[in-house]
Amino acid sequence: MFLAFKELKHSKTKFALIIAVVVLISYLVYFLTSLANGLASSYTNAVEQWNSDQIVLTVDANDNMMMSYMKQGDFDGVDTGGSKTKLGIFPAVINNPLAENILDSRVDVYFFGIDNNGFIKPSELKDLTLTGNQVIVDEELKKEGYEVGDFFGVTGSTLQYEIIGFSSKTTYQTAPVVFMSLDTWQTYRYGSTNTPDLFSGIVVKGEIENLPGNLISYSTEDYIATLPGYTAQVLTFSVMIVFLIIITAFVLGIFIYVLTIQKTSMFGVMKAQGISNGYIGASVIVQTFLLVAFGIFIGLVLTALTGAFLVDVIPFAINIMFYSVITVAFFLFALFGGLFSVSAVLKIDPLKAIGG
Amino acid sequence: MTGVTKDFLQGDNVIRALKETNFTAYEGELVGIAGPSGSGKSTFLTILGGLQKPTTGRVLLNGKPFSELDIKEKSKIRLENIGFILQASNLIPFLTIKEQMLLHNKITKSKVNQPWMDELFLKLDVEKLKDKYPNKLSGGEKQRAAIAKALYHQPSVIFADEPTASLDTNRAYEVVKLLAKETKEQKKATIMVTHDERMLEFCDKVYVIVDGVLNEKLVDNLVVKS
Ligand SMILES: Nc1ncnc2c1ncn2[C@@H]1O[C@H](COP(=O)(O)OP(=O)(O)O)[C@@H](O)[C@H]1O
Ligand SMILES: [Mg+2]
Repeated sequence: MFLAFKELKHSKTKFALIIAVVVLISYLVYFLTSLANGLASSYTNAVEQWNSDQIVLTVDANDNMMMSYMKQGDFDGVDTGGSKTKLGIFPAVINNPLAENILDSRVDVYFFGIDNNGFIKPSELKDLTLTGNQVIVDEELKKEGYEVGDFFGVTGSTLQYEIIGFSSKTTYQTAPVVFMSLDTWQTYRYGSTNTPDLFSGIVVKGEIENLPGNLISYSTEDYIATLPGYTAQVLTFSVMIVFLIIITAFVLGIFIYVLTIQKTSMFGVMKAQGISNGYIGASVIVQTFLLVAFGIFIGLVLTALTGAFLVDVIPFAINIMFYSVITVAFFLFALFGGLFSVSAVLKIDPLKAIGG
Repeated sequence: MTGVTKDFLQGDNVIRALKETNFTAYEGELVGIAGPSGSGKSTFLTILGGLQKPTTGRVLLNGKPFSELDIKEKSKIRLENIGFILQASNLIPFLTIKEQMLLHNKITKSKVNQPWMDELFLKLDVEKLKDKYPNKLSGGEKQRAAIAKALYHQPSVIFADEPTASLDTNRAYEVVKLLAKETKEQKKATIMVTHDERMLEFCDKVYVIVDGVLNEKLVDNLVVKS
């Protein structure tokens, strides 16, 4: 597209400014997407690692696993052709007994009580046996200075736990998960005297064939949606991102339109010379396309750079699928904006342009 | 053109801007169209060029029907057979003079006619200007470049609407002389609208339009010249 390229080259400043706007907006959108994605993953990482199909709670718990109390009989009552495993879940605040200021070392975590042979144990650490107060923790805790062999305490208790391994991508509701045997979990949860044999839920791989009436099953996705704040957060981010993309399309569409209108007489002259609507329209579209492509590319590079710098500070996850969808949406909407200008080109009367 | 008229609606009144007109231009002829402002000169020229439809009558180009064609076909014919030289210069601001020519090749996917381009540049004395953008040229230079552009694709007909309007007398003479010369050499039919009577002395034929009526004008100096 000779015309399109030549004009871009000739009016560099003008187009650079437009590209700058696209860069800023696309940067914002990609960055926000990565943040939203990172945040959402940190809600659900641990659950996604299970690769489960169903999650069973008590009906009484009202979607809240923390309020679900089950006995061995409940576990036995769940029939499945696949596999099932028990899960105890409870929040905790841990601290580092060796820290100068113990209060500063507090970290919110989730204690997961699991079966040593259950499929929800981090697969890379299958060989480690969880006994007594030995635990596997999410690698997020490395940032707090913990290493294998270190101990941590728990607020409200004199118990201490020993870290025997780090698992990756195991955060639940943004907090790192601490895996321990179910016995250990029950002792933490209900105290060491007369500890009841209770747990919170059952994670199932495969179909459930029979479920006792006091229990309710969720697909894993539905369960994730019930996590407090998760759905609202995902929705908020999605709406913001969609709006930003539409705004970009508008801004770009308006810019291109204004440029097109400025060039009315020139286009008129071109039409009088016999240059077809198709050619003029196509060069408007090619320009729009190039502006978006440049802008998006720079926006992506900036996002990647920022991500590389901030990955330890904020939850930041790049999802190629989301990026592709957003990129395609950018192009579609921007071209849609460009089409407005094309329709303006169609309406230009060469007669007016040559001042007849 | 035969039996061409053009009506415009102004408010509730129909104004006949062009009364019934018959007109023919032959190759190798530079035809001057003179007349006061508002007399219908531009209307006449734009109907010839297919930019608006006549109310009645028809326009033939190279013996083939032209005015009845649809916009797309007319556009194509303009691209190939017609050169426009306009008062406000028909140069595209973001192309260098050379690129203005190349644009035609790009659009028609044709080969660059380098010898002809070089020849035009030399003849029209724009050789030194070929890599400049229009806004770097003076009025006369622009007009010469515009003529080069109109001639480059070797159209059979050239329409010039007030090509000398923005030029001083010497430049204007120069431009019209060039136009006359190219018309002869390249066997074009050139139709030039002008309100400047002095420019008519280079024309082979002169017509005057007054209130939409076209009449051939026989001028002494034309006879002298030929
Ligand atoms: N698009 C139009 N609508 C209405 N009236 C027009 C239009 N174009 C030209 N006219 C009228 O036709 C007459 C001839 O105009 P024009 O051909 O532009 O004259 P010239 O070029 O000789 O100055 C004028 O009275 C003008 O007002
Ligand atoms: Mg006029």
